[in-house]
Amino acid sequence: MIQPEAPVKLNALMLAVAQTQDRAAFAALFAHFAPRIKGYLMKLGAGAALAEDLAQEAMLTIWRKAALFDPARASAATWIFTIARNLRIDAIRRERRPDFDPNDPALVPDEEPSADSVLMREDDDDKLRAAMTALSPEQVQVIQMSFFADKPHSQIASELGLPLGTVKSRLRLAMVRIRVAMGGES
Amino acid sequence: MSITHHLGEEQLLAHASGAADEAVSLIVATHLALCPQCRGKVAKMESLGGAILSDIQPEQVSDSALRSVMARLDSAPAEKPVSRAALAKPFVAPEPLRSYLGGDLDRVRWTPVGPGISYKPLFRRGQARAQLIRSRAGRGVGMHTHDGEEFTLVLTGGFTDTTGHYLRGDLQSTDPSILHRPLADEGEDCIVLAVSDAPLKFQSRAVGLLGKIFRF
Repeated sequence: MIQPEAPVKLNALMLAVAQTQDRAAFAALFAHFAPRIKGYLMKLGAGAALAEDLAQEAMLTIWRKAALFDPARASAATWIFTIARNLRIDAIRRERRPDFDPNDPALVPDEEPSADSVLMREDDDDKLRAAMTALSPEQVQVIQMSFFADKPHSQIASELGLPLGTVKSRLRLAMVRIRVAMGGES
Repeated sequence: MSITHHLGEEQLLAHASGAADEAVSLIVATHLALCPQCRGKVAKMESLGGAILSDIQPEQVSDSALRSVMARLDSAPAEKPVSRAALAKPFVAPEPLRSYLGGDLDRVRWTPVGPGISYKPLFRRGQARAQLIRSRAGRGVGMHTHDGEEFTLVLTGGFTDTTGHYLRGDLQSTDPSILHRPLADEGEDCIVLAVSDAPLKFQSRAVGLLGKIFRF
């Protein structure tokens, strides 16, 4: 039931939910993502019962907000990550999650209106995985710690017994390599 | 006009991963609204979050979970994309800042704290505080340093200090090593969003009052 799905398939399922409120597609997304969202929340310190409740809430949010899913902006996995992230901040940290609004008239638009972005998203996730496998284990470690901890980088540095500057430069270099591998600017 | 002072990779990643506190996320996100370049970087960091979520060790979800969620789908109100084209007014404050202010900058009620300087506290969470600071054109805040990190985002006008010249959308990061006396450009009031994790430390006793008030 929980075998991984190809990113392209997940995007198609997400679009079916967004465009036609397809319940079978939603059930397939649930089978793939609910256990992963639960795993993500548990890695960040939530107990199993709370993590499962919030994973259900996240799936409901995905259903409610499906019309906002824009495949030109993010893959299904990325969009669902942002929902799980925001839900955790809201439900566990009890803070607001401020973010920009892409439709805000005060937003300064992208310089080149995304000629490449639509092309990019389709195989975004595959490219990213390839880019991540090309990183050093130390770079992967600091990136994962950044996603799995509500910790400032100073705390990551002290846990790893490294100077803060080293952690920062590892992160910076990792991000540059990832952006180059994804064909963006460095 | 293009932005020359950007956010550090560290703050962008903290915002993308969800580790940043609300005050830092507010200033990061408000900068993102004005800076397509940093927005592109954050989008890639969020893709990284998507890849990490895909590769994570799944945790077994109970058999009843899917049934329970499917049963609730009909009562879950759908959210539709909102077109903001109708909002023709040229806002100065972008989202998410505008929501925190309950409107644009012209609605802000300022509290004067010194010659030519007023401020508007937004919120405080633990040590982190977010506030707007307005300096009349050509005026400045006294020479000071910081106990912790401070981020300053220019919304109107501009200012200059020893580290450079900052205009709308530019973001300055300072820490205890920086002693500065920001001076607003002539011609227009300079309004900034400032987020800090410790009070300002002023050099002279006369402006020490500013420090006390900014501490709110």
